[in-house]
Amino acid sequence: MEPHGVWIYAIAERVAIPPLRQLTGVGGGPVRTVAAAGLTAVAEDVELAEFGEDALRRNLEDLGWLEATARAHHHVIDAVAQQGPLMPMRLATVYSGDEVIAATLAERTADFRSALARISGRKEWGVKAYAARQPQPDGAPERTTGPAGSSAGAGAAYLRRRRDELTSQKNTRRETLASAEVIHAELSRHAAETRVHPPQAPQLTGSKAPMILNAAYLLEDEWGEDFAAVVSALEGQHPGVKLELTGPWPPYSFAGTGEREESGGLTA
Amino acid sequence: MTIPASGEQTTPARRHRIDADPQSVERGLVSLVLTIVELLRQLMERQALRRVDQGTLTDEQIEKIGWTLMSLEQKMAELREHFGLEPEDLNLDLGPLGPLLPYE
Amino acid sequence: MDSRPEVEPALVPTAVIRHRPPPEPATHTERPAIHTERIALVDLLDRVLAGGVVVSGEVTLSIADVDLVTVSLRALVTSVSTLARSGADPEVLGR
Repeated sequence: MEPHGVWIYAIAERVAIPPLRQLTGVGGGPVRTVAAAGLTAVAEDVELAEFGEDALRRNLEDLGWLEATARAHHHVIDAVAQQGPLMPMRLATVYSGDEVIAATLAERTADFRSALARISGRKEWGVKAYAARQPQPDGAPERTTGPAGSSAGAGAAYLRRRRDELTSQKNTRRETLASAEVIHAELSRHAAETRVHPPQAPQLTGSKAPMILNAAYLLEDEWGEDFAAVVSALEGQHPGVKLELTGPWPPYSFAGTGEREESGGLTA
Repeated sequence: MTIPASGEQTTPARRHRIDADPQSVERGLVSLVLTIVELLRQLMERQALRRVDQGTLTDEQIEKIGWTLMSLEQKMAELREHFGLEPEDLNLDLGPLGPLLPYE
Repeated sequence: MDSRPEVEPALVPTAVIRHRPPPEPATHTERPAIHTERIALVDLLDRVLAGGVVVSGEVTLSIADVDLVTVSLRALVTSVSTLARSGADPEVLGR
């Protein structure tokens, strides 16, 4: 028999088994549960040839594998999240067997319960902000800058133009970041908790505009529509910024038990 | 593999290699090289502006430096165009350090 | 086979993607209940990968399937990740 491990999708209090039967897991197998200490882990038996530490290191760099696995992982979590509060695990939480899982559930019951309580009745929403592309100015501004005063040549004119461009870019960047902070502060007022993620690389988003905010907001269940309205309003108030809203998500960004916090802070 | 397919076909393990098709070899290597050149160009430009502000350059020096930087910028634009690269292609994502070159 | 219990997550799941075109543009949605297929991969990866996704500046040139030259920033990124994340297991990051 191939060496195998147990992939964990999420931890909840009680999980009804019959709905799990319709799900296919990341390893193509059935989804099951491991229960201990009044908690339930949603799990799947997986082969270490694909999901062991070495294999994962290779596979996580394969975008095709990563996409398929991430989506399969999310599919299971999303389905189980319909049943009630659950703590989603990040990708690649693999245990060597059920006994260890049960032991972990028993050992850290208080942590898991308090995490579940924090997210109960709430959903995650994501907001990304981009700096709207400013139209480039047509010609160089006429004013001279710098102590050298008026230098007649093309070289000096080039430097003046570049200085003006750099200054204006710096100002625009500063204003945009200030907008991002104001927007994040306003959105946070509506949320029980927030997490700030690093901005996404443009090669992955396909957008040329720089991303200046990538944040997750934990909202009470029924507040999604109101939040969408707040996002629209903020976009109107900040013409230099374009906002995108995604959600609702299972509370991925808020499922930590406090041991390792996502570092916050807006982008520079 | 037993994972459910996402619809995209699995490409062979060497997908991340740049095959020796002359065009793609050039593009991969060239974009890396031009990124470094662009980094240096921006650094030199900023340093030049700083020196101008400090007033430590003569008019003649300012003119010469400006002219050189302007030619360099033009040359970069030509090279980019020749290899079909957009300005945004000349950048590197250093993960936690952010992008190598500022956007814009 | 290693029988010690593996702590969560088994690795610091940092995916390194080399010079691939973007998988799909981010989708804008204001309505709840998105089907999985319409979720933008980047948004999903933000949430399920602890380390996020790094597009590394790695270029490998090969002729006739023989790798000749590899220019890699990956070592730099990995070691910076090691410094930035206290508590990361150095052996897990492969350096």
